[in-house]
Amino acid sequence: MNKLKLNYTSLSFLPILVCIPLGYQLITNIHFGGFKLFQEFLISAFNPKIDNEIIITAINRLNQTFLIGFFSWLVSIIFGAIFGILSSNIFYKIFNIPKFFYSMIRFFLTIIRSIHEVVWGILLMQIYGINFSIGIIAICIPYIAVNSKVFAEQLETINYKSFESINQINAHKFSSLLTLIWNPIINTFKNFGLYRLECSIRSTVILGLFGIGGIGTSIFLSFQTLNFRELWTYLWSLAILIILSGVIYKKIKFNNTNKILSIFFIVVFFITILFSFFYFLFFIFNNNFENFNSVSSLFKSSSNFGLFDFLKLIFDTIILSLLSTGIAISLPPLVIGIFNNNTSKIFIKIFAFLLRLIPIPVILLTLLTFNNPSLSLAALTLGLHNAGITSKLLFTNLDSQDKRNYIAMRSLGISKNTSWLLGLFSQQAKSYLAYCAYRSDIIIRETAIVGVIGGVGLGWQLQESLSSFAWQEVTIVLIAYSSIAIVGELINGKIKNSLT
Amino acid sequence: MNNTLLELKNISYNYKNNLILNKVNLKINSGDKIALLGKSGSGKTTLISVLNGTIKPTQGEVKLFNKSFEQLDRKQKRKITTIWQDLRLIEDLSAEQNVNCGLLAENNFYFAFKNLLNISSFKKAHKYMQLCRLDNSIYNKKIRSLSGGQKQRVAIARSLIQGSNILLADEPFNNLDPKLITTIKNLLLENVDQNTKKSSKTTLVALHRLDLLNDFDKVIGIRSGKIFFNIKRTNLNKLHLDKIY
Repeated sequence: MNKLKLNYTSLSFLPILVCIPLGYQLITNIHFGGFKLFQEFLISAFNPKIDNEIIITAINRLNQTFLIGFFSWLVSIIFGAIFGILSSNIFYKIFNIPKFFYSMIRFFLTIIRSIHEVVWGILLMQIYGINFSIGIIAICIPYIAVNSKVFAEQLETINYKSFESINQINAHKFSSLLTLIWNPIINTFKNFGLYRLECSIRSTVILGLFGIGGIGTSIFLSFQTLNFRELWTYLWSLAILIILSGVIYKKIKFNNTNKILSIFFIVVFFITILFSFFYFLFFIFNNNFENFNSVSSLFKSSSNFGLFDFLKLIFDTIILSLLSTGIAISLPPLVIGIFNNNTSKIFIKIFAFLLRLIPIPVILLTLLTFNNPSLSLAALTLGLHNAGITSKLLFTNLDSQDKRNYIAMRSLGISKNTSWLLGLFSQQAKSYLAYCAYRSDIIIRETAIVGVIGGVGLGWQLQESLSSFAWQEVTIVLIAYSSIAIVGELINGKIKNSLT
Repeated sequence: MNNTLLELKNISYNYKNNLILNKVNLKINSGDKIALLGKSGSGKTTLISVLNGTIKPTQGEVKLFNKSFEQLDRKQKRKITTIWQDLRLIEDLSAEQNVNCGLLAENNFYFAFKNLLNISSFKKAHKYMQLCRLDNSIYNKKIRSLSGGQKQRVAIARSLIQGSNILLADEPFNNLDPKLITTIKNLLLENVDQNTKKSSKTTLVALHRLDLLNDFDKVIGIRSGKIFFNIKRTNLNKLHLDKIY
């Protein structure tokens, strides 16, 4: 008998097997009482509430959301680029700095980004109370570290021989560094900037659900009062904001030979750095630190954790990440492959957009209307939201791919689905899996959000510990979170390297 | 009078347990025009990399102006320039920006900044590009959109603009048509700084084509990382060539 051989294509579909245990638990947990609510939620999507009052509220809330999202994005992308340079190989090679510092800064950034912005937000809110700045700071802290990784990865692609040739000219070290990194930095900004802006706006919405303000808070209040029509007005207006920012971003041609635009960006760059610095000082000196005493007590108070319970929470978080990753990887190719025609594609794209648009907590709360809280439900929520993101990437890559193989297979009379699988998807499978490896890093961090809402894993424990000001427990949970995220990032990094 | 510029003493270089250079001794004097001959993989590129200080030899001593590379300051290191076989241009920059990179050493950080923003002066760069017979229509084109021959000449212009005393060139005539080869060869061997009108005189060129040896004074033959001969060009005969090919 022939041995089973796994290739990238089959590996992209295999994780869908997680749906077997997940589906079983979900079916056993169904309660029919909430179906009517769920139905109402769906119908309201086509019948949002439109009157003057709600439109004005939506505009005001969107304005707040955009401001928090935009400033978080601006600060995090600029400082992300700076930390990206400081954590890239090329910087240490040019300045002959010992590799120890390189490892130190990378480790520090890994810890910072291992904690989700919602966790930072909740933590900062506990210490400083709710204000506008908390939203920006909570997003900026992990985003700077995430962006720095993106920039550093792009800088690692600089050809070593170009470095040698510039180095051999024996120019000033800063001149050499600038000449080598200029284009990779600009290209990263061009390619990832819009995506990061979208992420920033989404994070602002999620933080809004936890009380920071903006459209997220309105969405949450509408959901709490089961006012689904109002909820959909906010969701659609959020969709308009995201689409509009995308259109405007694409309209600005980031041509690095355009002198005026380049000078404008440089001025914005320096103003942002200066402004951030002074704003940070202002924030530090104008906040009361009443609760900070509670934080310092973390070394004194004792924890009520049972070891077994704590290990179970960690185990649950890992399982939650694995199940969600399985759905996020396999669902998009499976659905696109099965419903492989133009009309279905449009519907899948709209559905994927909605999954990306609706904040994770809202998806979870909606599903909770007809299903009991469980790890599977949390995994399904996280998986579906991330499937919306992975499917966007898959569509983009498939649309820009050379279709000659597909056409050749179709001309041989091979079925549409098989031709798609072997003639189109098989060529994308490797890079798709590499992206999914990166995505699973984010999924691990996002378990915090579903944990807080859905009562699962470490996220739930974090919420509990924060509510009771049990700072030692908070610290332990954060260390556990960080450790899982760091180990996950290491494993995913290895997988990604083997795929690229 | 001792006019040795570059000296290799008993140089060996190992890479992944392969001996690429084997006890090489070499002196390059001021004004030498040297042709470096040898088969592909004989160690020509490695020898050039050792000469310009990019590669540290596993064993032996390299001296430039009677000092080891570690003892040289930036100004002294600048006196050596290299045209690499694989060109090593920055693909995302335009041809003129790449040529201007050759001026980074003699200018400050602000110049590098202006060069990237395209607001620096390209007058000098254009002058050298013209010398290399580059058409002005390609000046602001990105390197990745140029042909092999155009890239080759951009790399040559970038080296020449540095006005260094010692020019090392690794197969600089690749991708060039016969007419251009003559022009470029004259340019490399004269190696005159267009501003000071001084000849930097010392040139070492690795090449394959024997018909281009005419204007060189010395010929070095290398095989399996060992120098088999280092003679005047006029003394070169078939027996020498048989040793290395």
